[in-house]
Parts: sequence; structure tokens; C-alpha cells
Amino acid sequence: MNPNDAPPRARRPRATRPRPAAPGGPRIARPTVVHPVRRPRATSRRRESMIATFRYEFHMQIRRPALWIVYGLAYAATVAGFLPLYLNPNLGQLGDAPKTAVVVSTSLIMSLLPMVYGCLITDRLVRDRWLGVGEILNATPAGRTGRLIGKYLGVCAATAVPLALVHTGRAVVYAITEGEPAALGWAGAILVLAVVPGLLMAGALALTGPLLMSSVPFQMLFVAYWFWGSVVPASVMPTLSDSVLSPGAEYVVFGLLGYEPVPEPAPHLIVPPGHGRYPPWPDAPPDFLRPEAGPAVAWLWIGVMLGFAALLLLLARLHAIRTES
Amino acid sequence: MRIEISRLTKTYRGGVRALDGLDLDVPTGMYGLLGSNGAGKTTLMRILAGLLRPTSGTVRAGGHDLATSGGRLAVQRTLGYLPQDLGVYPDLTARRFLDYIALLKGMDSRTARRRRIGELLDVVALTEDADRRLKGFSGGMLRRVGIAQALLADPRLLVVDEPTTGLDPEERIRFRILLSRLAGDRTVLLSTHIVEDVAQTCRFLAVLARGRLAFTGDVGALVSRADHRVWTLTTAGPAPATGRVVAAVPEGTGTRYRVIAPAAPGPAALPAEPTLEDGYLALMEDGR
Repeated sequence: MNPNDAPPRARRPRATRPRPAAPGGPRIARPTVVHPVRRPRATSRRRESMIATFRYEFHMQIRRPALWIVYGLAYAATVAGFLPLYLNPNLGQLGDAPKTAVVVSTSLIMSLLPMVYGCLITDRLVRDRWLGVGEILNATPAGRTGRLIGKYLGVCAATAVPLALVHTGRAVVYAITEGEPAALGWAGAILVLAVVPGLLMAGALALTGPLLMSSVPFQMLFVAYWFWGSVVPASVMPTLSDSVLSPGAEYVVFGLLGYEPVPEPAPHLIVPPGHGRYPPWPDAPPDFLRPEAGPAVAWLWIGVMLGFAALLLLLARLHAIRTES
Repeated sequence: MRIEISRLTKTYRGGVRALDGLDLDVPTGMYGLLGSNGAGKTTLMRILAGLLRPTSGTVRAGGHDLATSGGRLAVQRTLGYLPQDLGVYPDLTARRFLDYIALLKGMDSRTARRRRIGELLDVVALTEDADRRLKGFSGGMLRRVGIAQALLADPRLLVVDEPTTGLDPEERIRFRILLSRLAGDRTVLLSTHIVEDVAQTCRFLAVLARGRLAFTGDVGALVSRADHRVWTLTTAGPAPATGRVVAAVPEGTGTRYRVIAPAAPGPAALPAEPTLEDGYLALMEDGR
């Protein structure tokens, strides 16, 4: 048996010196023989391909001009539409002022910007197919599941950066102008607990949805879904708004931070405990998806968001396996 | 790395049979794969790259069975693959694109990666354009990026599908020399419909036709398929009615035709020395 035919054995990376070019020889030198490729285990391979893909997907998305332009326009529209709340974010010093200010800021950000977030993600998975780059990537030993997770996390993280900057920036401005540094801590906690789970779910939906239809119709569908599932009040029509399936931040805001909405005359306002209660809304189907807010339900909501995200990625992977051959 | 293919069949959804009971043994070294469009070359290449699974039959590369996920992974660790339709991320620079592929190939050491990428950019003459975004690259430059990524991890098996498409004549020659140099202790499988590329680089080759093996052997054996069947005929009249015209060059007031035919296509026809292209065309004629 030819020694070259033997199955490859694990070996350490080995640096070798480049061979000196032959004097007067052609410029095409034989490439230096290097053996930098390790033979990692499957879990290690998955992690490495995930990290590599994360890095490059993040890099490509964060440098995309459309990301900053569309977010800028959407944020300007949000500020213009909710100017009174921007000017008085602590709702007249009700309760814990810095916390209230951050909660109000979060609710404003989560009304419109996640639509931009989703729309900017929709082309990221399917574009590998458009560009024809999937063939090269799939011929590498990098695990495809690791690459999918890395792409998902990298794209979601990069697309969330402007949103997180707006969120944190608002808290910084508040902390400076009001002399309330606690706003920064609340901003971080609310970002992690109330914003990120919803964005992870919305990101998984936006990434994988275009596997079933083309990207532009899916963007329109995503915007419609966001309005229906997060913006339209449950009292107006049957909707996912205010339910544990809604990617909005309400369950954490109300369940973990103790905020409640004013039931009348302005149910969209958020005020401290004692002014009303969060779901269930009477006669707002499907009410069984709106358990009364509390810490357990807030954690349940976080679990549901992450679970949905994982399920969507699993379906995307199964779709890829089905279409591979 | 030796490749053993036995009774390989690939049928796509919809019943299109791209490979039909293919048997082929590819030794270490440079090996050419010729065939017309639709002959099954790209399907075979994609199976070897682990991108497609065979419908039936076995493919073993370096002893690894490509029907198993472990076998595919083992082959991919030692594989350099240049697909026919090369896609890149237009928003990355050449250097960054290569760095990404190198990471996916398991080159974890940043120093080794940078050195290797620098070498390969030099090999494909893209050093000066290394930090330009790929969306501004010409077709030939993208092809060179594709060649560089295929060579990143010092592959033992190099599968290149139509590698010289889009390259200018100088680049083609440069690339052919590069492939020949690489082929020393590696297996380089060169799939192409440009017969000249195989003639200039390979000693052994196979010809596919409609998913089946039409020929396997050395280049000389394929050339000899056209022995005593190649003619040149210069005439001011119409093209010869018998045989297959493979070239027509205007000459003075007439045209010099090169014809493959079992007998002289005219009284003025002269026998000519066959080339690999003549042998290939004679083989294709025989198969009709």
C-alpha cells in the first residue's frame, strides 16, 4: 500500500521553512509544505468552525452600509413618533426613575427597530446559495452545524449592534443628564434579559424563513408578523402580542422588574406596581398564551424564545440535509 | 492518494442519471478527466469533494469510503477543491476570504495562516490586489483566488473542475505548470473540456460520456485512437462532405481543413499527425 493512501493520523502542527527559490527558475514556486491542519474531535471541530464563521459573518454584516443607514432612518422615525416619551422617559418620576427610564426606552426601541433587525438578516443564509460560495465552504472539513450556528450568532450579534448602541446610548445620556449612573446597570440587565431573547428568536426566524420563500416577500411578511405579533394590542384583534410567544420584552419588564401597564385610559403606558396588571386580557384570544406576568412566567418566556430559536435552526439544518444530495 | 471508484451511479431527483455504473482507478499524480458538457464530470467531482452522495456504488479515496460521513470528513481534511462555478463573498478582500477558508480548513495558527496566504497570493500573482474587495475582481482574478483557496491546507488530493476557464493564455500556462508541480506526491484530478490543458499536464486520463467511462489510459493511447484518421485538405471549394471537420484555417484563396475521417476525404487530402484533441474527437465519433 502506498503510504500516501494510509488514513491520516493526528499530528502536531509543524512549521517548515519555505524552500529557497531556484535561481532563474519560474516564479511559480512549489508552495511550502505545511501541515497546520489539526485533526480535532467532532465537538472541537464544530466549535472552531462556529467561531470562524461567527467572526467573518459578524465582520461582513457590521461593515454593511445598509445596516447603519436603515437603522438610522428607523431610529429617527421612532424618536419623531414618540418624542414626548423621549423628552420625559421617567414618566414623571414614578417609582425607580432610572429603571423606569430604561424600561420606557426599551419599549420604544422594541416597537420598530426589530423589524429593521429582521429585514437585514433575511438574506444572510440564502445568499451563500446565490453567491455560489456554499460549494467551497461545504467542501471544507468544517462542520455544517457549527457553521450554521456561527452564522446565526455572528449575523444576529452584528445586526443587534446599532440597536444595542441606541439602547445603551440613551441610558448613558440619561445617566449623565439626570445624574443617575444606575441607569447604565439597568440598561445592561434589561438588554440581556428582555431584549436579547426576543432578538435571538426573531433573528432565527429571519435567517431561516427565506429558505421557504424568496427574501423580499419574506421581509414584508416579517414586518407584518412583527406588527401583528408585537405591536397590535391584544384588545384590537386576535394576536400574539403580549403572549409568551411574542418577542417583545413585556414579560420580563412586568414579570421580573415589577412593572405593570395602566389599564385605562392609556394601556400602552408602563407604570410601577399597583396601577394594573399584565395579562390575561379578558376576551383577547388566544388568552391561554397570556398567563399572568410573574418571575416564573418571565423565565418561561426567555426559555420559549431560546427554544423557538433552536427549533428554527434545527429545521434549517434538516432542510439543508434534505437538499444536500 | 489513490481513488478507487466502483460501479458508481448518481441519479438526481427527477430521474436524471448523471453517472451510470462508473468504474475508475485514479493513481497518485496528475490525472485528466475529459468529457463533453453533461458527461458527468462535475457530478463526479462533487462526489469526490463530499458534496454529493452516490446513489449506489463505492468511492474510496486514500482508503476512505466517501459513502460514510467519517470517510467524507477524512477526505475533506486532505482536499483542495476548486468548483466549476466559483462563488466568493464580494464584501471580503482576497486576503480575508482566504483567511476565512483557511480557518474552516482547520488552520488555527494565525502566523501559519498569514504566511501561507502570503505565499499563495504570490503564487497566483495577486499580492498587490490582496487587500482589495473581491467585488472589484475580474473573472480571471477570481479564478486565481479560487486556485489559492484550493491550495491552502497543502492538500493531498486536489480536485479542480474547469480550472482555466476565464484565465488568459499566460495565466493558463502558469496554472498548468503549477498543477504539474503540485502533482508530485499528490493526486490532482483535472476535469476540463479544454483538451489542451490535459495534453500539456497529464500522462493519464479518462473520458466520460453520458455518465459512463468511454476511455481510460495514457494520453498516447487516446491519441492513437486517431491514427490514420486525421487529414488536412486545402481547397477553395466547400468543406469536405465526409468525416468531421475539426479545424478550418483560411489560407490564400482557399481554406485548409483538418478532418477526422476513416479514409481520405478527397484526392488532395494529406495524412496528418494526430493530437490528443483528434484522439478525443475520434473517440466521441466512435461512440455515436
